[in-house]
Amino acid sequence: MIEEPYRWVEAIANRREYIETQLGSGSPIVALSYAGGILLLTVGRQKLFEIYDRIALGAIGHPGDIERLRMAAIELASTEGFTRSAADVSLRRLAYYSLSPVMKNAFEQIYGAPFLARLLFVEIGSSPEDDLFLGLEYDGAISGSQPKEPNSRFAVLGGTKASAEQMEQFLRQEHRDGEELSVAFQLALDAWTLGHSGVSDTGEIPPREQLRELRKQRLEDGVIEAAVLDRGINSAVRYHALTATDLAKLSAS
Amino acid sequence: MQPLELGASGLEDFPALLRHHGLLSPAWQTGPAEPPKDFKPTESTTILAFKFADGVLVAGDRRATSGNTVVYDRADKVLEIDRQSIMAIAGVPATAWEMARVLEHSFQFFRRTQLQEMSVDGKVRALSKLLRDNFGFALQGIGVVVPIFATFDAKASPAARLYFYDAMGAQFEATDFAATGSGSPAVRGILYYENTWGKKPLQKLDTDDAVVVALRALDTASEADTATGGIDRHAKIFPIMKMVSASGIRTLPEEKIAELFRKRVA
Repeated sequence: MIEEPYRWVEAIANRREYIETQLGSGSPIVALSYAGGILLLTVGRQKLFEIYDRIALGAIGHPGDIERLRMAAIELASTEGFTRSAADVSLRRLAYYSLSPVMKNAFEQIYGAPFLARLLFVEIGSSPEDDLFLGLEYDGAISGSQPKEPNSRFAVLGGTKASAEQMEQFLRQEHRDGEELSVAFQLALDAWTLGHSGVSDTGEIPPREQLRELRKQRLEDGVIEAAVLDRGINSAVRYHALTATDLAKLSAS
Repeated sequence: MQPLELGASGLEDFPALLRHHGLLSPAWQTGPAEPPKDFKPTESTTILAFKFADGVLVAGDRRATSGNTVVYDRADKVLEIDRQSIMAIAGVPATAWEMARVLEHSFQFFRRTQLQEMSVDGKVRALSKLLRDNFGFALQGIGVVVPIFATFDAKASPAARLYFYDAMGAQFEATDFAATGSGSPAVRGILYYENTWGKKPLQKLDTDDAVVVALRALDTASEADTATGGIDRHAKIFPIMKMVSASGIRTLPEEKIAELFRKRVA
């Protein structure tokens, strides 16, 4: 039994270290805005999912845990959308009210299993100002918001904190609002390459030409997965996965 | 939004999930054996669908009635369920619109959770199941719904698929056309005539010709059936028409229908 508060804190710290190690090798996920909406991109096994009409999810972690959280999110959004309306389905409520408390609880119940998962939710609004990026940690912590400054509408998910920070720093330099999908796609791939390559000791970001070289090596044993939340589409469902044909076209550009 | 309950996971059947949360009335519900004598549910008629050159055209008049009272003259009975499917309803709208809503969410819920599109057969069956679940109400004569379901699957042959149902949930695949609701006898007569002795069979008609046939059929139905709104020349209320083809669903703009009506029907 853990009776002393000190022991509990120690157990939590151990647990955190264990989870961070488990998530460390996860392939990063990049979400960034382009002229027509928001692009999500990663490389590897399927990690991008449609949650509801305007909400997408990218996740790193154990497939079993991701699946439980993904299912729960879809169930909540669908029942809300059915009983009220699609307009009442809100990512903010989904994350703060429903998912975060459960993840925090699982993390702190040290005799039970925590969720081995780090989630990135993206919700597309009626205008870019209403777009919402929310990161959800295994301990229930929520990060991100509605970016207000120009060129800041992006979010990343990395295996490690350092990798995520480096991708963010890179995107702060390179990302521009209102670019074409093909430009956003190339940028997202470069950011992914950077996040997946491990952080250099100096913390310096290599120039993009060098990233392209690196990218070629990294992509040899991985398949690109990408999806968009399309603001202009003539349908309530804004999410659609990019097909192999779309990806081939974008890769060639 | 409800607090998170992870235990409910694994229900890929959306109606079952709704019932689990008490958000949908149980299947096979039974009420009083007969509805009160003076109870007249709101009903809507007449819907039709036929295959034309590009896919399937689905049309419905706009009237909803209760007994011999006109309740509403701008009802929408032709509903888009997903990017490839249209459902049209004749019967009690309270039940039918709820069914359409359940169906729409079921298809999307399946796609989102199972990461694949539901098959055409699966979709057709899902509607059949909802009708069967409604059997108690149908038997009492207060919740009868007889829908038409049209969908387009570019990979299948034939690509355009058209089904109609009876109130108990039996599904019938139509080769050329289908019509249900109180004005349907006249509509079926016209569609049969057009298809057999018209200038061209229905499946060869282009969009404009198909719209004209649908307008004439609904106008004829409203001639003898008071429950069918047909075309309201005075208030300029036109039927709702949607078509599903390889490029998805298209709702015909009212101006387009009005123009064809003026030129070739009125």
